[in-house]
Amino acid sequence: MESDTQQIALGLRQGDVVVLEALVEQYQYRLVRYLIYLLGRREGVDDLVQETWLRVLKRGSSYDGQSRFEPWLFRVARNIVVDAMRKRRMFSLDSNDDYGVRRALTSDEPSPFTLAARTEDADRLARSLQTLEPVYREVLVLRFQEDFSLQEISAIVGAPVSTVASRIYRGLATLRPQLEGETA
Amino acid sequence: MNIDHHESFERMIDESLAGAISAEREQSLREHLDTCPPCQEYLSAGNRVIAGLGGFSFEVDPTLNARVLASLRRRAHPDRRRWTLVSVAAVVLTIGGSFVDLQFGDLIASAFDIQHMQVRQGLLTFWIVPSLCGLLLFPLLPWLSKAGTRREERTL
Repeated sequence: MESDTQQIALGLRQGDVVVLEALVEQYQYRLVRYLIYLLGRREGVDDLVQETWLRVLKRGSSYDGQSRFEPWLFRVARNIVVDAMRKRRMFSLDSNDDYGVRRALTSDEPSPFTLAARTEDADRLARSLQTLEPVYREVLVLRFQEDFSLQEISAIVGAPVSTVASRIYRGLATLRPQLEGETA
Repeated sequence: MNIDHHESFERMIDESLAGAISAEREQSLREHLDTCPPCQEYLSAGNRVIAGLGGFSFEVDPTLNARVLASLRRRAHPDRRRWTLVSVAAVVLTIGGSFVDLQFGDLIASAFDIQHMQVRQGLLTFWIVPSLCGLLLFPLLPWLSKAGTRREERTL
């Protein structure tokens, strides 16, 4: 009997729309959340989601079904973002001066994190998340929301495991003061 | 306890939260945590950050899935539709050529003062045979196109 990942790989090789529909239903929210963390903004995310799925359709045969599908999907999404940035000369994921940070500092509009905060602690973290560099936000969501291993995150972001770990430490260090000393 | 020693345990707490700590260091950290309230607080704040990250719920446009699926369906088999149309056109052309020969062959021959056989040869050469070739060739193009796409993906 074929495993789920092999069935997904077969479906993608054949351009099977039924398989794609099931994947869209299953992963759409997670993809949207990852892209918001990566970009630090809400606008444009839907277009990037759509482009991601079209690339999954086009390049689906490069997924071999030997490893989990999710890291492969998130790597595709990340590549779409990087390509879009190159084309539009937006900003670099590694840059301090990214669009999201500048916007957070100059705009009165609430950030996507403020709008999405459903708990007191999340509300406290929202502003720091908005000003955190994308590469740190990215690893936090991949590790603690997506529950990817360090190796999987390393494959998604194209950085060594040690770099991924350092980014997680720095991301936690930036957010920790927002909650330290508060009673839960 | 000196500060360096304490910082090394804070580093171990970060490693533990990130899932980057060895079993041996984890054991050492657990023993330290039993006796160190500041490190317990540091760990607790880290755990609260992680729990806090779970406190976001982003809204997804309810029409997004439908839009994505519609565009996937449109793009899933664009070639198949194109090849079908071309094949139908080839069938129509082949039948049309034969029909012209049978119905208007004599008329064309007398109009140009040539024999009916010459009209038939002309129609066969420039209309019916090319249409037949198209009819036979086009069903093969999707496979040729797919093979080309696979080759392109292997080089990516």
